[in-house]
Amino acid sequence: MVLVKRLLVVLLGSYARRFNRDDKRFLVVVGAFPMILLSLLVSMPVIIVVKSTPIFEHEGIAVFISSVWRAVEGSAEEEFYGLLPAIWGSIYTATIAVVVGGILSICFAVFVEDMVPHRFRDILSTLMDVMAALPTIVYGLWAAAFLAPLLLDYIYKPLHQLLAWTPFFSFPPKTGYTLGTAGVLLGIMITPYAAAMIREAYSSIPLSYVEAIYSLGATKLEAIRLKLGMIKPAILAALVLGFGRAVGETVAVALVVGNSLTLTLSLTSPGITVASLIANMFASAPYYKYMESALFAGGLALFMIGLAVNSIGLLVIKKWEERIGLHM
Amino acid sequence: MELAEFDENTPYAIETVNLNIYYGNKHVVKNVSLRIPRNTVFAIMGPSGSGKSTLLRSFNRLLDFYPEARVEGVVRVLGVNIYDEHVDPTIVRRIVGMVFQIPNPFPHLSIYDNVAIGPKLHGMCKSKQELDELVKWALEKAGLWDEVKDRLHEPATKLSGGQKQRLSIARALALKPKILLMDEPTANLDPVSTTRIEELIVELKKDVTIVLVTHSPRQAARVADYVAFMYMGEIVEVGTANEIFTAPKNPLTEKYLTGVVG
Repeated sequence: MVLVKRLLVVLLGSYARRFNRDDKRFLVVVGAFPMILLSLLVSMPVIIVVKSTPIFEHEGIAVFISSVWRAVEGSAEEEFYGLLPAIWGSIYTATIAVVVGGILSICFAVFVEDMVPHRFRDILSTLMDVMAALPTIVYGLWAAAFLAPLLLDYIYKPLHQLLAWTPFFSFPPKTGYTLGTAGVLLGIMITPYAAAMIREAYSSIPLSYVEAIYSLGATKLEAIRLKLGMIKPAILAALVLGFGRAVGETVAVALVVGNSLTLTLSLTSPGITVASLIANMFASAPYYKYMESALFAGGLALFMIGLAVNSIGLLVIKKWEERIGLHM
Repeated sequence: MELAEFDENTPYAIETVNLNIYYGNKHVVKNVSLRIPRNTVFAIMGPSGSGKSTLLRSFNRLLDFYPEARVEGVVRVLGVNIYDEHVDPTIVRRIVGMVFQIPNPFPHLSIYDNVAIGPKLHGMCKSKQELDELVKWALEKAGLWDEVKDRLHEPATKLSGGQKQRLSIARALALKPKILLMDEPTANLDPVSTTRIEELIVELKKDVTIVLVTHSPRQAARVADYVAFMYMGEIVEVGTANEIFTAPKNPLTEKYLTGVVG
């Protein structure tokens, strides 16, 4: 206890002098929990790196850039794991999710704020909050039973007929369990969060600007376009966070993505994501020497993707905000 | 409806007859009948909460965006009753420009785009060159051109408060309105910027009729040709600036001018 207090004085310097003796004890108790949490957070990337080291020693960077997946029981040297289809699947489905979720949430925000009468506003936003609170497995089950067959019959089949010559619909659709379905489902899943953020920014545009737009004789549509332009940083922030959620979403995706290690642009083809691969394989991984380590390398890849997207997003937002001088 | 319905040669730019405005149950503008002569500066003066800004917002149908507000009576702008069924409020707002209390150029647009946005919305210019000229014309009219001509594509947020307000004026002028509503345009500005805006107001009345809402008798005295004194939703007294400031007929007006009421 004395040691902790000493440490506290060193860490906080003169700041510690503002507390009397009882307060110091209190500070130690209250401060301990966040400190434990923070050190746990720091340990997270460390553990993932440590656990994925064997696979890097075994096959080097190929784990990220190869599509070969060879699990051989009892013969460790022949094992080989390439995560490229899964990494691609994660990025691809999350990107589709951002496009789908972006359109849905912008439409929702504008509709609720500018189109519906006041009394319906609360009902609609409560509904969105409920959607946000649903367990993700419920989304997965719903999509497996309803969304996947719907997309297969009314979207994939007709579009394959028309657009089979494009890479996006080249794969002959047999089931609804595809990369496209996973992307659309993820888009729906991130919408409640993104819509809430965008709506918040949209409704906080000062009345003075709104009056100014209309005083120039703008129609409602023109005013909406200008208002959306004004909250561009908030929209981007919502989409960056949405991408992070989508890229990590596991169980719902595992139900509808098809779980095939295929590297493809085709929305009508089954595929896989890193998270769903880990979920599918983790239980059987101990039977192999390197598989578990390969799955940890997948976790590392997700970690880096998330970090990169967030950093770039934050940079762009900061630049816009500096230009606009308007902080939302 | 067509722009041509507005008669530019009527003696009165704006005429209200028995105008009443309510917010829910609150009666905020009471039985106002005003006639605002063309090409003058008409000041509506009164203390905060007297209904001046609400009255002003009824002149370009901006009250449409206040769901609580209800307007009864007649407002004629250049001869057209703007609350008539067939009237398109977006066209009314092209004829009746507005400048607000807080300088409010759009923060995400450049100086140029802030002025160009109105003409773009209404498809007023056929070529980029024509638009460039209109933007220059509006900025010159607002007395801002010399200060910004070399940085038209910088964000409007880089300007000072007074410059922003002149940019707001340029933005309104770019639509070539016949009437300009100004809602306490100098309330948030320093004295030097205030003087510039006031000089501009006097200058602009050659081209447009200006309806100026102000709580300051001094400002009204400096720029207005006519003054209406408004108190608790009613027009207490209207007259030429000279009449109001030298010989007010109503004791309430006199009290306001001398700072006893307000």
